[in-house]
Amino acid sequence: MSEIEIEIDGHLVKASQGDSIISIADREGIDVPRFCYHKKLSVAANCRMCLVDIEGVPKAQPACSTPAANGMKINTKNDKAKFAQKAVMEFLLINHPLDCPICDQGGECELQDVAMEYGSDVSKFNLGKRIVPDKGIGALIQTDMTRCIHCTRCVRFGAEVAGIVEMGGTGRGEGVKIEPFLTEGIQSELSGNMIDVCPVGALTSKPFRYEARTWQMNAVQSVARHDLVGSNIYTQSYRGKVKRVVARDNDSINETWISDRDRFSYEGLNHESRALKPKIKVDGEWQETDWQQALQFAVDGIKNNAINPDQLGVLASKHASLEEFYLMQKLARKFGSENIDFRLDQTQLSTGSSLESSINLSEIESVDHALIIGSYTRLEQPMINHRIRKATLDGASVNTMNSKNFDFNFKTKCDALTAPQKLLSALQSVLKAVHLKTNQDTPNDVSDVTPSEIHNIIADDLIASANGVIVLGEHLNSNPNSLAIINLIEKIASATNLKIANITISGNSHSAEKVNFIPSGNGLNAISMFNDNTKAFLLMDVDSEYDFIDSKSAQGHFSKEDVFVVALSSFENQSTLRSADVILPMASFYESSGTHINFDGLVQSYSASVKSPGESKPGWKIIKVMADLLDLQGLDYVDSTQVKEEALQSSKVKSSVDEANIQSIDDSQVTTHWQYAPYASDSVTRRAKALQESNVGMINRAYVSKMTAHKIGLSDDDLYLGVPVSIEESVAVDCVFIHTNQARRA
Amino acid sequence: MNEVCFKNLDKENPASFATYEANGGYKVWRKILNGELTPDEIISELKTSGLRGRGGAGFPTGLKWSFMPRNQEGQKYVVCNSDEGEPGTCHDRDILRYNPHSVIEGMAIAGFVMNATVGYNYIRGEFMEPYYRFEEALKDAYKAGLLGKNIQDSAISYDLYTHLGAGAYICGEETALLESLEGKKGQPRFKPPFPANVGLFGKPTTINNTETFASVPEILSRGGQWFADLGVENSGGTKCFSVTGNVKNPSNFEVPMGTPFSKLLELAGGLKEGRKLKAVIPGGSSTPLLPAETAMNMTMDYDSIATAGSMLGAGSVIVMDDTTCMVKTLTRLAHFYYDESCGQCTPCREGTGWLYRMLQRIIDGNGQEEDLDLLLSVGEKIMGNTICALGDAAATPVESFIKHFREEFEYYIQNGKSMVEEQHNLIEEAASV
Repeated sequence: MSEIEIEIDGHLVKASQGDSIISIADREGIDVPRFCYHKKLSVAANCRMCLVDIEGVPKAQPACSTPAANGMKINTKNDKAKFAQKAVMEFLLINHPLDCPICDQGGECELQDVAMEYGSDVSKFNLGKRIVPDKGIGALIQTDMTRCIHCTRCVRFGAEVAGIVEMGGTGRGEGVKIEPFLTEGIQSELSGNMIDVCPVGALTSKPFRYEARTWQMNAVQSVARHDLVGSNIYTQSYRGKVKRVVARDNDSINETWISDRDRFSYEGLNHESRALKPKIKVDGEWQETDWQQALQFAVDGIKNNAINPDQLGVLASKHASLEEFYLMQKLARKFGSENIDFRLDQTQLSTGSSLESSINLSEIESVDHALIIGSYTRLEQPMINHRIRKATLDGASVNTMNSKNFDFNFKTKCDALTAPQKLLSALQSVLKAVHLKTNQDTPNDVSDVTPSEIHNIIADDLIASANGVIVLGEHLNSNPNSLAIINLIEKIASATNLKIANITISGNSHSAEKVNFIPSGNGLNAISMFNDNTKAFLLMDVDSEYDFIDSKSAQGHFSKEDVFVVALSSFENQSTLRSADVILPMASFYESSGTHINFDGLVQSYSASVKSPGESKPGWKIIKVMADLLDLQGLDYVDSTQVKEEALQSSKVKSSVDEANIQSIDDSQVTTHWQYAPYASDSVTRRAKALQESNVGMINRAYVSKMTAHKIGLSDDDLYLGVPVSIEESVAVDCVFIHTNQARRA
Repeated sequence: MNEVCFKNLDKENPASFATYEANGGYKVWRKILNGELTPDEIISELKTSGLRGRGGAGFPTGLKWSFMPRNQEGQKYVVCNSDEGEPGTCHDRDILRYNPHSVIEGMAIAGFVMNATVGYNYIRGEFMEPYYRFEEALKDAYKAGLLGKNIQDSAISYDLYTHLGAGAYICGEETALLESLEGKKGQPRFKPPFPANVGLFGKPTTINNTETFASVPEILSRGGQWFADLGVENSGGTKCFSVTGNVKNPSNFEVPMGTPFSKLLELAGGLKEGRKLKAVIPGGSSTPLLPAETAMNMTMDYDSIATAGSMLGAGSVIVMDDTTCMVKTLTRLAHFYYDESCGQCTPCREGTGWLYRMLQRIIDGNGQEEDLDLLLSVGEKIMGNTICALGDAAATPVESFIKHFREEFEYYIQNGKSMVEEQHNLIEEAASV
């Protein structure tokens, strides 16, 4: 791009040939009013609000769609520009209801702001205003389409970013309506961004409706913790409660978007099942008590049950903060126990940290090929999926090896349907194909494999890729041969020179790995811990009904008479009430300071947005006091920053490659793959009402192919493990793929 | 008269392949296929001819064709705009009905010049008969081996397809037409980029009007200078005019540019007995209205009509006599634009409805003193601020009607009834007594 010089409002400015006038104005801090223009969306030039005067051009020109040319003299504020801008403003307002006093957008409304400068005090329009009926588009977005100014940002967002065209302009002229074509509600997992891009009150947050005025709220910069991305957000609170979460720009992480899970999960914080007071179970009865007694009860219980230190097990959910992970493991290790783990949902556990990713978030959008193994990235890691989609828009191809063909928001090239029990042999076949095609020495374990046609195609694409990535997803976690599979993937990646994006672990797992929240030496892991020797447990944010790969045996173990369970929890789950002996109410998301480490290894700290409700306390403080009561040294921190600094000194334990023992499985048996829908991912999200009522939130289906259904005697809408069955050909043979918001039953 | 587009009109079966060929048709195209004409020669001949885009904007065709990046790799397209929808216009319809082969040949020539192998003729949705006629002609042209791949071993390929619109006026706007042709909602695109660079399916595209394409073979066959000499300076050749309104013989006439309006009016049979000329819209409803005296002094060419204060436009001459109520006429026009606005950009979407409703309110007898100034102000605010010219087209008649006939509007507002109709009724009553 050649450099040019233009004059804008009297300033000489350098720019690149082809830059739009509005982008130059924005860079120079010159305010040009606009509605349809959005820096992350295509240019529409339909609102006409950004009309500016260009010397020598008879008509005012839109600053958003007019490329700057050398020597151009632009005036954004002279009479001609102002006349055009005020004219457009007048037109925009004639049919707008001007119901700002009852509009949630009031106070942060672009139309309101711009009208202050460009609107008139008195309307000359004395005819009836247009009224637009609302179709209703689901549980998350409130529509008031009478307020719509037809900027089409939401339409373009759907088409360009979400990749699902759900909103569109129907009709013509004055009768144009921005509405979904279908009536079953919005399907996108990024739909909430339409609220952010809507410049007026046409699309507002449904759970937030009438909760507070925007100017009354207290906004705090924070970090979302539901996935590996750590999207940057603002929490907005009113009278001590989080009322809304909106996106905060960070181009290298979440750009300007956040997933619906990050946006709407805050509702769970105000759920009726919040643990507000410490409770102890005496003779099988729960009693409310004060902190001092509860902590003493907990410490006594641990001491009395874990007579040997290695009888204590310490488990945390993957959503805890870096500080909490650090203090928990330090407490356990000072106590003398190595029984520490956060990998509750995995069938096979390695002795070290998970496979390292070799690509950055922002690099994913420039890959030329992606092979997705075991992931429905769109719902599981929406913002990582968004980067893959961007790559596909630039021409990247995507192949998948999944047990079901998922509804991605990009076209896949080759989908190798693979049942979990056949994934290992399938990858051996791919590896063999790669070796044959590249004349590399074939390792022993695949010497007698003959690659199938589809695996040859996958191998071809991997070899042809100059800058590709293999994405391994959380579906691998429940695979009995997950370690061997991951080893194979590593071999395939190194043989084809591809990068790795490991999204098998989620939430804040990178923090857990950073501080070695896994057993070392003879320590027991999240599976082996459930033996007769482990008599006391310290749980953090663990819901034994949902979180364990084998929840039955976990719950069974916790419920034993001689097993003492201390639960640090934000909620009083039924499962916790059944299995715990003490509930120590803990602050939840946004209620305590902490640190998240994301996919890129980026350390992001956040402070508390609100005070935790009732008597609940930040997790790190509870552990600190418990350590004190257990007479353990070295945990007397003054604040969480001190904890963080120490925690960041730790270094991960690498996994040894050869540890994978291949489990022989009868691969003709039908396997059930129980996969959580995205809004069943953590305790807060599971309680977020609107999310649960959304289309994605209600996912609850057991998918099975016709042949397999016949084999095990299922027909459409039967219940399989309590989940309604859909017979579809998009499922691997000999596999029932359960995608559900229900607690694991298999 | 009728020397170019309508030259076969008096022949038997004018639309047939045989008639077209017998009268020199496809001569130029065959020359091209024989390698006897180069693109540069064609462009230069068109420049000499002074042919200007007949769709309304009047952009010099030779210049437009020379803008196409003919040597750029990849697909390029030629598109014919037969979405003739301007109120008062129907001459393209007759070209398609009576001389479809001239359009085919013109488009093929354009394809050769632009190095485009595919052309589309986008025909107005209501034009069923012209559509069938054109399709028939297309079949005959293929049968004669004049279209297709590697035509007569010339290494020239040209495939032509017909596309029928679905009844939206806005699709006559060239970029809305492209959107519609791509299967999308017919909404104009903002420019730049222009179709010559980013057109149909994102590829370089030349769009011309039916009459423009139909004129090309005759120009190349008889020479650019011959064509230029038919007309006057700056307005070469002949032009098809649709004369409608209060004339005895509303019809299409192909006359040389520079023909006096009075002559054209005569051709159309003149006004009905006892009527006086009141006003004329010379180029279609989107062009400014001219009062009788001005119209009678102008000649039908780009410059003269511009001097008179209007535009040649698409050559749709709407003649109004002294029984025409200007308030009602304007209201009807305003309704048309309100109804046909695509709704994409703000001033047109909101403004056309505002204009129409204010006018309708006047007709309903509820007009207010300040309405006239407000009408003008709304028109002024639409003008020049929209993506395409529909906004201007809606605002233009408002301005010109009120400018020339303000007293009629004031009378209607003050009395709640039409001045003209009242006068006319009085005359009729007097006559009947």
